[in-house]
Amino acid sequence: MKSKNRRWVGWIIVLVLVVAIQPLSDRVNLDRLILGVNPPTPWTRILAAGGKDSKLAVTGVTGVIVGAVLGGFREVAASMLWMKSHELWDKGEGASVEALWVMRLTTLLDPHWLEPWRMTGWHLAYNLYVETDDPKLRAEFLQMGVDCLKEGISWNPDRYDLYFELGWTYFDKVRDFEEATKWLIASIQFPHPEFADRMIAHAFERQPDMPRALDWYDYCLKRNPTDGTATGATITIRERYMPAWRLMTEQRYDEALAAIEKWLQVEPNSQLGLHLKATILEKAGRLRDAYVVWKLAADTHALNAHAAAKVDELGVKLGISTPKSAQYIFRERQARQGRREMKVDIPME
Amino acid sequence: MRERFVRVGNRCRESGRLHKRTSHGSLDGRADVLANLRGRRAEWWAPAGGRCWAIGLAIRTENLRKVYGKDAEGREVGLLDLSMEVEEGQIFGLVGPNGSGKTTTLKLLLGLIFPDSGGGEILGMKLGDPAYRERIGFLPEEPYYYDHLNAIELLRFYGGLFGMGGSALETRIKELLDLVGMWDRRYIRVRNYSRGMRQRVGVAQALINDPDLVFMDEPTSGLDPIGAMQMREVIINIRERGKTVFLCSHLLKEMEPLCDNVAILARGELRALGRVLDLLTTGDRFMVRAEGLTPEVVAKMSQGAQKTEQEAHLYTAYFETQAQALQSAQAVSEGGGRVLFLGPQRHTLEEVFIEKVGG
Amino acid sequence: MRPIYRVAKATFHEAWRRRFLNGILVFAILIIGSSWVFAYLQPGAELKMIIDVSLGAIRFFGMLIAVFMGTRLIPDEIEKRTIHTILAKPVSRAQFLFGKYLGAAATILMNVALMGAAFLIVFAVKAPQFKAMTTESTMTMEFMSGNLVKAVILIFFELLVLLAIAVASSTVFSWIIASIFSFFVYFVGQMAEFFKQLANPERDISHAAQVLLATIYRLLPHFEIFDIREAIMKDQFMPWDVMGKIIVQGIAYTVIVMLVGYLFFNEREV
Repeated sequence: MKSKNRRWVGWIIVLVLVVAIQPLSDRVNLDRLILGVNPPTPWTRILAAGGKDSKLAVTGVTGVIVGAVLGGFREVAASMLWMKSHELWDKGEGASVEALWVMRLTTLLDPHWLEPWRMTGWHLAYNLYVETDDPKLRAEFLQMGVDCLKEGISWNPDRYDLYFELGWTYFDKVRDFEEATKWLIASIQFPHPEFADRMIAHAFERQPDMPRALDWYDYCLKRNPTDGTATGATITIRERYMPAWRLMTEQRYDEALAAIEKWLQVEPNSQLGLHLKATILEKAGRLRDAYVVWKLAADTHALNAHAAAKVDELGVKLGISTPKSAQYIFRERQARQGRREMKVDIPME
Repeated sequence: MRERFVRVGNRCRESGRLHKRTSHGSLDGRADVLANLRGRRAEWWAPAGGRCWAIGLAIRTENLRKVYGKDAEGREVGLLDLSMEVEEGQIFGLVGPNGSGKTTTLKLLLGLIFPDSGGGEILGMKLGDPAYRERIGFLPEEPYYYDHLNAIELLRFYGGLFGMGGSALETRIKELLDLVGMWDRRYIRVRNYSRGMRQRVGVAQALINDPDLVFMDEPTSGLDPIGAMQMREVIINIRERGKTVFLCSHLLKEMEPLCDNVAILARGELRALGRVLDLLTTGDRFMVRAEGLTPEVVAKMSQGAQKTEQEAHLYTAYFETQAQALQSAQAVSEGGGRVLFLGPQRHTLEEVFIEKVGG
Repeated sequence: MRPIYRVAKATFHEAWRRRFLNGILVFAILIIGSSWVFAYLQPGAELKMIIDVSLGAIRFFGMLIAVFMGTRLIPDEIEKRTIHTILAKPVSRAQFLFGKYLGAAATILMNVALMGAAFLIVFAVKAPQFKAMTTESTMTMEFMSGNLVKAVILIFFELLVLLAIAVASSTVFSWIIASIFSFFVYFVGQMAEFFKQLANPERDISHAAQVLLATIYRLLPHFEIFDIREAIMKDQFMPWDVMGKIIVQGIAYTVIVMLVGYLFFNEREV
């Protein structure tokens, strides 16, 4: 019958059309990739997580499939879960672990919503951190918090918020100012508030790296000449620390120490001063003296974990065995393992 | 009684194609031209003293077959190799019990379903050719329509499918709604229609394009007696205008006075095909029926009869010739009885049907 | 062309008299209209909430309309036998099918336009207030309104593809099965990218499985491409040429699916 022939012609046309639209389909996918408008569901990651951590995978996969079944309401589902996680978190104790799973699920359902990444990272690195006194466990929580933020960045590499959050976590909690400057610099290539620029300068002066700190303060002043903090910090650094810094770079360590000592007599507990003094002593090779200064800094400022980690670092070199701080364990592990966490390209200028 | 004879007479003339085609001048002489143009078979028939008419075939099927499966006894169910011809200008009835394949035939002819084998022509065009749908109308069984529309909107929709529009369509709609008696109720929505109103609107939509061939599936089912009568009038009216009507029904009593030709289908097979008159007046027996008879008169009446019957006080005798029957009636009359009927013995379509289908 | 227009028009008018379609539309507009109330549930993310709830509602209820209307277009006609009177007229099956489709597409256009208008009004009224409350740095508003309009446009084309799937599947299956099938394809189509990832040659699977997964990926409608929420959240300009390509891909897929539907419908006995 002739209709049979027509049927075959029809199916052949269908096949040809299906093949014909494939280049267009690929082109659209590529365009979306270039634009950064990607398919939002992290399927492979959810499945990859299955091997390591079955509990996450079960919750995650079920949740995401339920989310998909909800069709257009996946993001709304994420919002609802997010509220649920707050509720669980506020119950405290065992519920907080559960809350973390729910938060993790939220980030999977809506990975382009920044708030859950930021809050989960904060809960891990700050709130769970203080729940325990065991430095090893604390280091683990720091690691989880940092990993969480880095994964969030991998989903949102072109937005300021999470870079800054990670930079801040390094700055304030890990007290690893070198890492902090890297992430803070990465953050300011996107639209950002003014204080982000200043944070970079703060991180440099705490390393300490006085010339770079001055450069960044200058940059802040150029952007906003009325920036009082930057003006004050510039004067302080120029007056108090730059003479000692210059002498140190010229390897005139004794003169440098004398220069910084002059200011430390005025303000004995100045953290910047103590950091600089200890750094000069390290450079001069007087490790034991440096150890004492770092210890002084760590003792006078309970939260100065940077100093505490330095104490541990020098303690190992000097053969002094003391209980290690969480920050030291964390840095140590990172140094040993290299970048075990997600690969994230930091977009530098 | 009288009316019945008159109608029989009418039918005789009509089957001889003497109906008033001349009043619709357009058909005069057009058919043969069309016949030649379309290469369709033309038959010439010349009644005594009449004019010559070209008779084309409205429908022709050849071994049309559509099998749905087999029943418990292994017989095929569906339509089995139907071959028939329907000439133009008549009312043709396709009768048969439920499940005999009437609706299947209709759907095949309309192209709603597709034959397993065989084929046919409608108005000279091959089955399945979309072109003939311009010239046909269809009234389905128990029709449903877009029930949010009213009669006018519905007909506008159907007219639009033919590419009709403007004032020509509006005039046509008014004409048709008048014809089916729906003009007064034209703004009522279809969902509120009674069964009869739907049927009426159904007829109107089937005729919207002034079709040359109208298919009707059970046109009078579900109608009250008056509605059924009006429907018959409409159908006859269509034929009067020179169109062909193809009816499907199992309501034999209604088909009998209506159809010129019938085909009897049973279990998917064609059991009989021909003029209604021929089918009904099988054999040349004449019958006399009388009442109020004494036994002597009964004996006289039955003289030479092939067969006699008695039902209560009614006596019936069958004769071979008309003369014998007249003689018998004479005897009844002389004996003080009352002749109730004198004439050729007629089967009802129902009897023929039962004979053909049951046998 | 005229029969297509007539059938489409009748379908469109009939659709507006369907109670469940009206009900869905009213409910959707209620949800969109009250999306700003939901926003207060999520301090700091009010803008996100209003956008998610509203676009989610348009997509979700649009999906319901497309599937339930699409899968019943043809079966209803067959069941009520209205199709008999229409196909007995000079209307080809292709004209009938595409007429029905276009009528339903016009209905969806109206529905999406109404829902979208409700959303944009709510957004215009509430956005300035919520903008001040939002905590995310990049919730700027430069391309926001343009992106929202574009998102609604893309949802419409997404629904066109879904409608085609619903109509085409209903020429083969009963409307219930066709609805389930359409929802299934819609959800699997949302994760088309997943099959591409699974078919990645670097994964340790057999060649046959790879070919199978890649074929599934190629055949599936890619519903993900219609989702530009990320551009909205980042307030990033969505170029018109990319929009155009997405729309062309959607229409091309619609044509293919409708062609398949026609091939089945053409042989379907009514």
